[in-house]
Amino acid sequence: MAERMTRGGFAQPGSAMAFKTGSWRDLVAPRHLHGLAPCAGACPAGEDAQAYLAPLTNGDVKSAWEILVTANPLPATTGRICHHPCETACNRGQFDEALAIHAVERYLGDAALHNQWAYPGIPQTTTEPAVAVVGGGPAGLACAYHLRRLGHAVTIFDALVEPGGTVATSIPPYRMPKEILQAEARRILETGITWQGHTRVGSDVDLDELRREFAAVFLAPGSQRTKPWDVAGVVPAQLHDGLALLHTWMEVGSMPPWHKIAVVGGGNTSVDVARALKRCGVEEVHLVTHNGLPWDAEDPMRAIAREVRQAMEEGVVIHANCGAERLLLRGNRIIGVVLVAMKKMRGADGKWHRHGFPGTEQVLMVDEVIPAIGQTVDPSGFESLLQGLDYFDVDHHGRMTHHQGLYAGGDARSGSSGMASPAIGDGRRAAAAIHAALCNNPLLPEKQRPLVPITEMHLQYFETAPRAEPSILPVAQRQGEAEIEQSLTARQALDEAVRCLSCGNCMICDNCWTFCPDQAVLKLNHTIQGDGSPYVFDMAFCKGCGICANECPTAFIRMAPEQDEQG
Amino acid sequence: MNNTAALRDMSSIRQQQSRFEGLTPGHRACQGCGQALAARLVLESSGPDVVVANATGCLEVFTTAWPQSAWTIPWMHSVFSNTAALAAGMEAAFKARDISTKVLAFAGDGGTFDIGFQALSGMIERGHNVLFVCYDNEAYMNTGVQRSSSTPVAAATTTSPAGIARTGKRHLKKDIVAIIAAHCMPYAATASVAYPNDLKDKVRRGIQTPGPAFLMIHSPCPLGWMHDSAKGIEVARLGVETGLVPLIEMEYGQQTSAMPLRRVRPVVDYLKPQGRFRHLFADDPMARQELAHLQALADHNIAHYGLQESQPESGDSHAAASVRRGTVAVVPPGAV
Repeated sequence: MAERMTRGGFAQPGSAMAFKTGSWRDLVAPRHLHGLAPCAGACPAGEDAQAYLAPLTNGDVKSAWEILVTANPLPATTGRICHHPCETACNRGQFDEALAIHAVERYLGDAALHNQWAYPGIPQTTTEPAVAVVGGGPAGLACAYHLRRLGHAVTIFDALVEPGGTVATSIPPYRMPKEILQAEARRILETGITWQGHTRVGSDVDLDELRREFAAVFLAPGSQRTKPWDVAGVVPAQLHDGLALLHTWMEVGSMPPWHKIAVVGGGNTSVDVARALKRCGVEEVHLVTHNGLPWDAEDPMRAIAREVRQAMEEGVVIHANCGAERLLLRGNRIIGVVLVAMKKMRGADGKWHRHGFPGTEQVLMVDEVIPAIGQTVDPSGFESLLQGLDYFDVDHHGRMTHHQGLYAGGDARSGSSGMASPAIGDGRRAAAAIHAALCNNPLLPEKQRPLVPITEMHLQYFETAPRAEPSILPVAQRQGEAEIEQSLTARQALDEAVRCLSCGNCMICDNCWTFCPDQAVLKLNHTIQGDGSPYVFDMAFCKGCGICANECPTAFIRMAPEQDEQG
Repeated sequence: MNNTAALRDMSSIRQQQSRFEGLTPGHRACQGCGQALAARLVLESSGPDVVVANATGCLEVFTTAWPQSAWTIPWMHSVFSNTAALAAGMEAAFKARDISTKVLAFAGDGGTFDIGFQALSGMIERGHNVLFVCYDNEAYMNTGVQRSSSTPVAAATTTSPAGIARTGKRHLKKDIVAIIAAHCMPYAATASVAYPNDLKDKVRRGIQTPGPAFLMIHSPCPLGWMHDSAKGIEVARLGVETGLVPLIEMEYGQQTSAMPLRRVRPVVDYLKPQGRFRHLFADDPMARQELAHLQALADHNIAHYGLQESQPESGDSHAAASVRRGTVAVVPPGAV
């Protein structure tokens, strides 16, 4: 009987799972690729907004803050004053409106101060060599904080009595309340840092002495010396410097009795001076800048767009793409200034120059012309290091060329933009470099991840949602030290977190798990450590069709050559 | 972890999936098969207490390469013409023995629109409590892409080739849902693999319907439609968004719902990625005319089924597939 059956007649029935369709895959296979969200790529302080927004989507404010402060110990401060390049870079800006990252950062910072949360991960004892930090501004505070996290003993030397540096002395309280900055700075010092205020390097303590006593020195003295300024070779007899005026106004609350003023400059200080003058009752305040407006595509001014908008609301007249060509004098007295239209253009030598166009002159009748064009490092005490330069020459990690054990950052370093968040990034990177050098460890490069441009996202899966807008004090109520921009409510902050597109990282949407025609995507009931997703590919059955990658909203799944898949 | 250990791990993970898998991997469907996905989604929302009568066609062939089976539920193969009769018989037997197990009938468009139609019409007319699912990939794919009465006008198949004389199929796609609905049908609906939640809802409704129910699922076929295997879901979604594939429900001959279109796309968006419509983009008056014909059919669908929406709504063609990160959390107590 048996010999008359066909050969197949003896086969045991079984499951199709014995047949591994994974062998059909041709060249490419899906893999999880952690992309770098544009916000994280753009943050000068090194924050990963996506990472801290994730716990916030579950309402976990404390975890969100704890992730945030692994990079930036001053979020309530930067949430207020940062120029937030993260929001400019945010992919959502090209979909509907960018996430209000600065507002969420500020919300988290304020929540931590309100609840008196302590920094996580600070070792109780100091196990590593002592380091000196010169300057207690954002760069110095951040460097000291990260050194403490790494186990070092730290002493900060500062010429002023209180910490905060330029943020404390030069940013008006209506955008940076003093008590917030002081509370965050105090929290940093309470991690076990020695504060040596009222101690200026050069006069009170010698740099060489610091180098002898400490294993390493981080220099972040800021830029305190006003840049020289003239108009066609003429300097007003009584030169009022913008920053000095601002300092005086912040300390005593008044300005000289002027009627019409022109402020020259395109940075935040020039805008702050102009607004302070307006608040003190100066009738006409003109701001003259070589640059375009902050929202112009070409040659924008450095000042934060929000601040310029508010200044305009308050009545400051902005003359963008203009330069002061000549001062109109009667004897020593200024009666006006001649402006001329200017444009930044590439010259025959291939370099950028600003050109003034004859015939476009206009006269502003003003009582004074006030320059607010920026500062450079005060060289006293650092002459041997600067060698005639007006900045510290450092590499990406703040290491000073030719000076072992010396590091620098903040406004005083080469190429600084004069902003607080890049200074915080400087402090963080220098702390890592100092730690590596003192422990004789190699300095590992920061993990490079590929940036996720919006073109790689699959936006058909997202719904539009309006951006959270903090309430703004009306112009009529902008008096005294009242803060202009308000905090988000908890409801607003939580809703904003859900707007994050999760660029380049898993948002647990189940699309890959749902759409795989071969059930080759499996879902665990927990997220995988180091992957952030609960999904695994069963490569024994994956035919490599590519549907999972094509339907992954965040471009977290990519099709890549097989040999890379192992690595 | 060595390879064997990893595999053992995979099978234990597979056993803990929080969904019912009526269809296992290891099936021999092509890369990116829309039908394989659709069948799993149907069983996910109907199983495990079901039996399946399956007509001849791709689904039958690729799931049961002898002596293996990819089905984890009782499954029976019928010839091309009589799936509905087989399902009707099983249902009658269950009824006689008071068994509540639901009977499903699976067929392709050939087994529904053409060859199996007579048995299907009879099954419905006799009122059998069966959910008949038609996996519509718009041609006889299993035997080598021959045109069926479901193939849309102007699509090229091996028996309706595009050339000098003709621009693909000359005849219209049969309006099968209207024919089914004309049987005083309790529930007839269309779905798409691009909208899995909508699809699963319609399966559940079909199962809950006492008496016959019919569900037609638009299922892209990368081989027959000649698109990239990664683009199946995208193509299916574009079919819906252009109006060529209306997602509707009909109860007792009346249309009771339609998925509104958030943004109506031109039909070229749907046709361009598919090789079966490639000839329509030639510089040729006949091609232009057929392209305009397909656009007119989409416009007609939009008007006929009322697909145009007045304002965005939660169940429309955008919202029905949208995802977001996390949930909207409740403000924790004590938050400022």
